[in-house]
Amino acid sequence: MVDLSQYLPILIFLVIALGLSTLFVFLPMATARLTGVYNPTAEKLSEYECGFPAFEDARSQFDVKFYLVAISFIIFDLEAAFLFPWAVSLGVTGWVGWTGMMIFLGILAIGLAYEWKIGALDWD
Amino acid sequence: MNFATSLMLIGAELGLCLVALVLLLLSAWLPRAAARVLTIAAASALAGASIYTLALLLNGTAGPDANAFGALLRLDAFSAVAKLLIYLSTFACLVVTPSFFERRGQYRGEYPVLLLFNAVGMSLLVSATDLMTLYIGLELSSLSSYILASFARSDMRSAEAGLKYFILGGLASGILLYGMSLVYGFAGSTNFDAIRTALAGELGTGALFGIVLVFAGLAFKISAVPFHMWTPDVYDGAPTPVTTFFAGAPKIAAVAILTRLSFSAFGEQFAAWQQIVAFVALASIVVGALGAIGQENLKRVLAYSSINNVGFLLIGLATGTAAGVSAMLIYLAIYAVMTLGSFVALLMLHDADGVPMETFGSIAGLAQRKPALAWALLVLMFSLAGIPPLFGFYAKLVVFQAAVDAGLIALATVGIAASVIGAFYYIKFVKVMFFDARPSSDARAEVARNPAGHWSVLAASTVLLSPLGFLLTPAMERWAAAAASALFLTA
Amino acid sequence: MQPITIIVFLPLLAALAAGIVNKAAPPVFAKAVTTGALLVACALSWPIFLGFLTGEASPALVPVAPWVQSGTLVFDWALRVDTLTAVMLVVITSVSALVHIYSWGYMAEDPDQPRFFAYLSLFTFAMLMLVTADNLVQMFFGWEGVGLASYLLIGFWYRKPSANAAAIKAFVVNRVGDLGFMLGIFGTFLVFGTTSIGQILDAAPAMSGATITFLGMRLQTMDVLCILLFIGAMGKSAQLGLHTWLPDAMEGPTPVSALIHAATMVTAGVFMVCRLSPMFETAPVALALVTFIGAATCLFAATVGTTQWDIKRVIAYSTCSQLGYMFFAAGVGAYGAAMFHLFTHAFFKALLFLGAGSVIHAMHHEQDMRYYGALRRDIPVTFWAMLIGTLAITGVGIYGIGGFAGFHSKDAILEVAFARGSEMGRFAFWVGAFAAFLTSFYSWRLMFLTFFGRPRWADSPHIAHAAHDDAHHGGADNPPSQEDAQPKGPHAVPSPNYEAGTGGYHPHESPASMLLPLGVLMVGAVAAGFVFSGAFLDREEFWGGSIFYNAPLMHAMHEVPLLVKLAATIAMLAGLALAWQAYLRDTRLPGQAAEQLGPIYRFVYRKWYFDEIYNAVFVRPAFWLGRLFWRRGDVGLVDRFGPDGAAWVVRRGSRAVRHLQNGQLANYAFVMLLGVVAAVSWVLVR
Repeated sequence: MVDLSQYLPILIFLVIALGLSTLFVFLPMATARLTGVYNPTAEKLSEYECGFPAFEDARSQFDVKFYLVAISFIIFDLEAAFLFPWAVSLGVTGWVGWTGMMIFLGILAIGLAYEWKIGALDWD
Repeated sequence: MNFATSLMLIGAELGLCLVALVLLLLSAWLPRAAARVLTIAAASALAGASIYTLALLLNGTAGPDANAFGALLRLDAFSAVAKLLIYLSTFACLVVTPSFFERRGQYRGEYPVLLLFNAVGMSLLVSATDLMTLYIGLELSSLSSYILASFARSDMRSAEAGLKYFILGGLASGILLYGMSLVYGFAGSTNFDAIRTALAGELGTGALFGIVLVFAGLAFKISAVPFHMWTPDVYDGAPTPVTTFFAGAPKIAAVAILTRLSFSAFGEQFAAWQQIVAFVALASIVVGALGAIGQENLKRVLAYSSINNVGFLLIGLATGTAAGVSAMLIYLAIYAVMTLGSFVALLMLHDADGVPMETFGSIAGLAQRKPALAWALLVLMFSLAGIPPLFGFYAKLVVFQAAVDAGLIALATVGIAASVIGAFYYIKFVKVMFFDARPSSDARAEVARNPAGHWSVLAASTVLLSPLGFLLTPAMERWAAAAASALFLTA
Repeated sequence: MQPITIIVFLPLLAALAAGIVNKAAPPVFAKAVTTGALLVACALSWPIFLGFLTGEASPALVPVAPWVQSGTLVFDWALRVDTLTAVMLVVITSVSALVHIYSWGYMAEDPDQPRFFAYLSLFTFAMLMLVTADNLVQMFFGWEGVGLASYLLIGFWYRKPSANAAAIKAFVVNRVGDLGFMLGIFGTFLVFGTTSIGQILDAAPAMSGATITFLGMRLQTMDVLCILLFIGAMGKSAQLGLHTWLPDAMEGPTPVSALIHAATMVTAGVFMVCRLSPMFETAPVALALVTFIGAATCLFAATVGTTQWDIKRVIAYSTCSQLGYMFFAAGVGAYGAAMFHLFTHAFFKALLFLGAGSVIHAMHHEQDMRYYGALRRDIPVTFWAMLIGTLAITGVGIYGIGGFAGFHSKDAILEVAFARGSEMGRFAFWVGAFAAFLTSFYSWRLMFLTFFGRPRWADSPHIAHAAHDDAHHGGADNPPSQEDAQPKGPHAVPSPNYEAGTGGYHPHESPASMLLPLGVLMVGAVAAGFVFSGAFLDREEFWGGSIFYNAPLMHAMHEVPLLVKLAATIAMLAGLALAWQAYLRDTRLPGQAAEQLGPIYRFVYRKWYFDEIYNAVFVRPAFWLGRLFWRRGDVGLVDRFGPDGAAWVVRRGSRAVRHLQNGQLANYAFVMLLGVVAAVSWVLVR
């Protein structure tokens, strides 16, 4: 039988998360109503996700630049994800660990420089 | 294991990596016309890496104990030989590439950079002795391959090829990773030797699943049936120099790591995977042979031909013996030469405007127009068909010999029978070139002149495949045997 | 190097040189090389023959090379030279050399001359190999070699369907005989344990009376072997039953007919029987069969010869008939007489054929005698050659004084058949005498139809064609044009005074290259008889043991009644008289006779219906069987389940694979996943 008591912190985390997300949804609505700036228009009422209408034909064309940005974002997002464990274990890994991460960052920097130079970061 | 030794063992990869990074920056800052210079630099780097690897192999540094970074990588005779094959065929691809893209104004400095990254990935792959390094090498190679496939960005077919390759490759990677995770879960380690020890004895269902899925993932890379579906479309759609590359080095690398993994990690479970490999081998031979019949496009024919050849290679793997692996390596080397030569010949078939002539109809009567090219193709095709006294016959001979010695007589018999089907379309090349009438004048395009680089690669491969190639057999047998025995030391 | 080696192999080298160079050099190269080789061979052959004639030479065996050593079966290439061989050597090389020379003129306008001359020399080599053979296998090699050359030369004009058919017929019919010959060789090896002719002949007398089981019956060993060997001889020498190919073989160029189908190859059977005569002497049944077949062929061919209209076919049947004489001479034990007739026949029959060739040449390839007539004034040399040939074949001579070649040899055969005293001998004599009458009749018929009477050329399509060309080329009114720029040929000489039957055509005498061989052969046809009759017939030491010489019989030959001795001459005169009456005096007579004797005439004219019967009995069933095997067996069974079936499966498989490769990404992924599922299922259920 699984000892459920070990999962208590996760339950608490879930409850807090649920509470926070509910707050984020309803707080702006309540604020708008209460401060009297509630003034809905068709534009304001349309649902959107990442700049696109949420309910529409999925096969519509969109600009490939979104992808470029997304890919670049993921790379540096992952870099950050790597940096956290590296940072906490730096005391153990020492200079070898430090050099390894510097090489990794160096390679990423070269990639960024290349990206910048060929204009992948320019929106237009 | 000290750090310096580890760096020394992966010196070739390090060097290639550094050169690739420098060239990447240069390709961004230098004008596009400098692409040719970058190509030469990349080719030199590959030549240097070959020499470095050869030196390590010859001076005895490369050995079964030459583990780097805590047994993440190993530079033994097997990986050294595989790396040499990879570097050399990548080098040859670099030689024949620029003029193709330059004729279309598509050549950019990224091309040699991508090839270099690909080479680094492949050489990490073949020396991997850990699932993690295996995966990193595989993905480094694959990701650059996806980009290469769609290198001709403005060409719809090239883009389609890249996308198909990417999506199916992603699926295959997923299957592979799933298999790896299962294997890791049941073996408790990602190191090949540790996996081997852990999985000895009766095999649980989960580990069996893992092994099968890992095989499936790698089978995609070598385009073995039924994971071959991407091959004809990608080979056909990708620019011809890229196809030339795909048919050579990545296949070598994938076959090599599959072999290493089979014997180093799953050697104790030979009975579990032998039948699957044997079936996949047969299916590849038959489908490769059948698919090529009726094709009008020469690149598709050669794509199916590569599927067919993978089947013959896998026969060597299915034997499970050192002799089989040795035969497989010999086949691999000869296959690399044959496929390189065939695609180079295909590259050379274009008219003055650079429009490729890649259908059977367009090479009709080639023997009268370009006798040298036609005769070289004749040697290549007869060699692929395994007709003595050409060298391709020797390749098939050693593989079948190993299969018969290992008692796989039925497999060898069906393989030989199916190679007759394959002979049909190889000989069709010859028939069309030598005996068919030239196309009518309006559809007729003259084959344009080709640079000396193409001719020298074609001539080299033709000479190697001619009966003169048999002079190399003692050396080849010695090296192949050394490489094969490196895998069986732990057995 | 021995002269005999040069004689045998020089023609081979010449044939190879001519055949390989072929049209790369002007035709004169091939012609000169082959003709030169044959002249050298001929020049070397005569001294050998004369050596045996004077008794200076002795039999010799010249080894060439080892051939087969397999267990007890051991034989080598070796050339055997004795009297019998020497006789054949001079016949072959002389006639062959003359035919080579003749062909310079006869084939002058043919585009394929190098091939023709190469074949001729190849034939000569094979024939020489046959007659110099020291063992049966080597003889068989030569035997098949001449068969091959014969096939190639009959079908020389391969664009002509009838020539191809004739070549195939000759080959197939000869295969029947060759089967007998092969069985004979196998049997001989089985019985004697060797294929060496010398050893076999030494051992043969001791075998007399031994029995062997053949086809389930207990039979006399020697009879079985000799009959099998004789079947081979029948095929090659066109004896009754296996003769049907010879008349058709006339489709080949006329020099070929003279060399192969008159003088040399067709006599190979006679030669073989003589070569193995000690063996045949121990086989009485076989000898009786040889006599009977010989006599029957002699009569049969002569009757058919009397009704044919094609000049070459008449001579072909004549050859067949004369070969019958040789066989029954051998059958009664007079091998010397058989060889003598072979020798003389070679000269006069070659003469007749080459003469006929000259006539055909003059008549623009018209071969039908109904369109000849009155040619003696236009082509006098040919006329004289044919006349001498006819005198020789009909055996003109005066008893006690001498005569033309055929007189000596044919008389000797008839006398010896009578002298034999046996039933079969008497039969052969009477048949032979009657055949001599027929021989005389058809020979003179040929002469009268061709050279006497009135010209009947106008109706011939060949002549009409030629005359039309003449009118076109020679017409003085026509304005000069490119075509008229050619020099005018002899055809173009106008002949205003000529009779209406000529159709405006003027035959021309053949060139010197064709007349020279005729002259030489004329000498042979006149002299070969009385010069050599003593040696061939009466001198046992001349033969030196190379054939079985029945001395008492040859003596008895001279003791036969006078009427017998005169029988041939009487028959000859009767035939001459009948021919003169029928074809010169009363030219309606043949037509009336044919009408009155309707069925008999048709029977003879259609060659005793041999071709029709063979067609119904052998050819049609064979075709039916062949078609059955082809349609049902080969196409329906072997091909259907073999190559065609495999190809069908491959085609279907290929279509399925291509169908699967439809370019849909989802489909590809699906196949991959199916593969994974299949592999996983397999390892689980295994």
